[in-house]
Amino acid sequence: MSRREALHVKAKETLQSTLYFLAPIILFLLGWEFVSRMKIMNPALISRPSEIFSILFELFGSESRSFLGHSIILDISQSLYRLVYAFSVAAVCGVGLGMLMGRNKHIYRFFDPLITVAMPIPGIAWAPIFMLWLGFGDPTIITVGALAAFFPIVYSTASGVRSVEEKLVWSARSMGANDKTVFFNVLLPWSAAHIFTGFKLGLARGWRTIIAVEMIAATLLGLGYMIFAARDYLRPSIVYGGIMILAVIFFLIERIVRLIEKRTIEKWGMVGS
Amino acid sequence: MKNVPSRSGEWSVLRRMKEIRGKVVRLFYFLLPLLFIAILWELIVYFRIVSPSRTPSPLQICLKLYQLTTPKPILLNNLFESLLRLVLGYMLGALLGILVGILTGISKPFYRAFSPILSLLISVPTLAWVPLLLVTLGTGDETIVFTIFLGGFFPVVYNTMNGIRGIEKQLVWASRIMGADKTTVFFDVFLPGALVSIITGLRLAIGYSWRALVGAEMLAAGISWGVGHMIYAARAFSDVEAMFAGLVIIAVGGILMDRLIMDPIERRTVEKWGMVKER
Repeated sequence: MSRREALHVKAKETLQSTLYFLAPIILFLLGWEFVSRMKIMNPALISRPSEIFSILFELFGSESRSFLGHSIILDISQSLYRLVYAFSVAAVCGVGLGMLMGRNKHIYRFFDPLITVAMPIPGIAWAPIFMLWLGFGDPTIITVGALAAFFPIVYSTASGVRSVEEKLVWSARSMGANDKTVFFNVLLPWSAAHIFTGFKLGLARGWRTIIAVEMIAATLLGLGYMIFAARDYLRPSIVYGGIMILAVIFFLIERIVRLIEKRTIEKWGMVGS
Repeated sequence: MKNVPSRSGEWSVLRRMKEIRGKVVRLFYFLLPLLFIAILWELIVYFRIVSPSRTPSPLQICLKLYQLTTPKPILLNNLFESLLRLVLGYMLGALLGILVGILTGISKPFYRAFSPILSLLISVPTLAWVPLLLVTLGTGDETIVFTIFLGGFFPVVYNTMNGIRGIEKQLVWASRIMGADKTTVFFDVFLPGALVSIITGLRLAIGYSWRALVGAEMLAAGISWGVGHMIYAARAFSDVEAMFAGLVIIAVGGILMDRLIMDPIERRTVEKWGMVKER
């Protein structure tokens, strides 16, 4: 098969799988439209897809006539900015502490109970306390988001480093490797798959928490805030639209993360057990 | 002690004592860092490095926990109300989740039709549904229970589906050739094959449901009881002690549910049936 043909086949496959993916969703939306047009349920509560999409279209334009008074793109970018900020902080702290816990038994023994106790607390439960300390807006949202993302990352990193066989470290040492070499050439690559899993979990938890905290602590911008405010204005179509945007955004984030995983961890052969 | 089956009684008593001692030592090591942090925190508040009205000390929180239980068991009432909602929502989510998961796992048309919709819906944070439910179902219990249901439903569906789809086709073919009918294949091949995955899903789901419960109780205005509501209501009076007391209850509740209910279930079923867990 020539290269061109191979490309052709691949394009066809991609098209087919996209179609298979979209067809049920489109059918679902059509069915929804049909049911809501039959007025079985109160149309003020259950809006129809055509209405939702036209409102979404309007929201994406700048200076929209909706209650928001600004383009929804600002809300999306603000939420993403909070996610990136919170995740970066959580990743740095989580990997740092996780590495220490993985290498030192005493540090592990000290922090393990604390993490076990704090990890199951839902992020949003911290929100009222941090609102009292830091006030409304970004400080609270980002801190609580980072806190929620931190625990899965530190947990996965610690268990990843602990899973590295001690023999590997010994042999590297006996061949004359110093601390830096051991860290970068033994510990990091051997626990990379675990750390990546922690990143995925942390990203998902951070995102969920940020959207939730935005509902109670944001003052102007953010997707969570927008959805919750739309409820106050009794605009269910905007709530539906917001949920759709949330679904699509996180779906895309997951796809991108998966792509990164394929290009790095899997390509380098670091797939975890 | 007499009922313990043993080869030689004396040794078994010794071994049991050793086991118990090991457990106590482990518990001690678990509690030590928590105690250390609590004392440190207490000292920080004591020396007024932070203000006790904004950051209560552990002793203040304990006192608050005590005040909330006597003379009127406010805390227990809150917890009871929350647990009732949790059980209802979680049960619904688990049952429907297993059902839908099995259907989408076994039938290919179902899989084709549902998995794209499922993968989009899974990406929606559970609490993002709350504003919608507040409009459609009102601000009361229905909204909270439905949120808990949504929180538990998706992990169960996803894990059940993957568990069934992960079963090797050869196993199904082999049992078919040996004359098994559809019911037998279902109960003897599909269900045991997917059990590990289903139980993992159920365990994940209880965590999700618990988190959804707390969030939904904060956002729903039409209720007057519940742990989440207690924390959120405390905000109006700047009652930080009650907020922390709520956090303690949520943390302890989450751990106890996982350790006392889900962990034994997982061990009894999965390990007893000889299915080794990958981890």
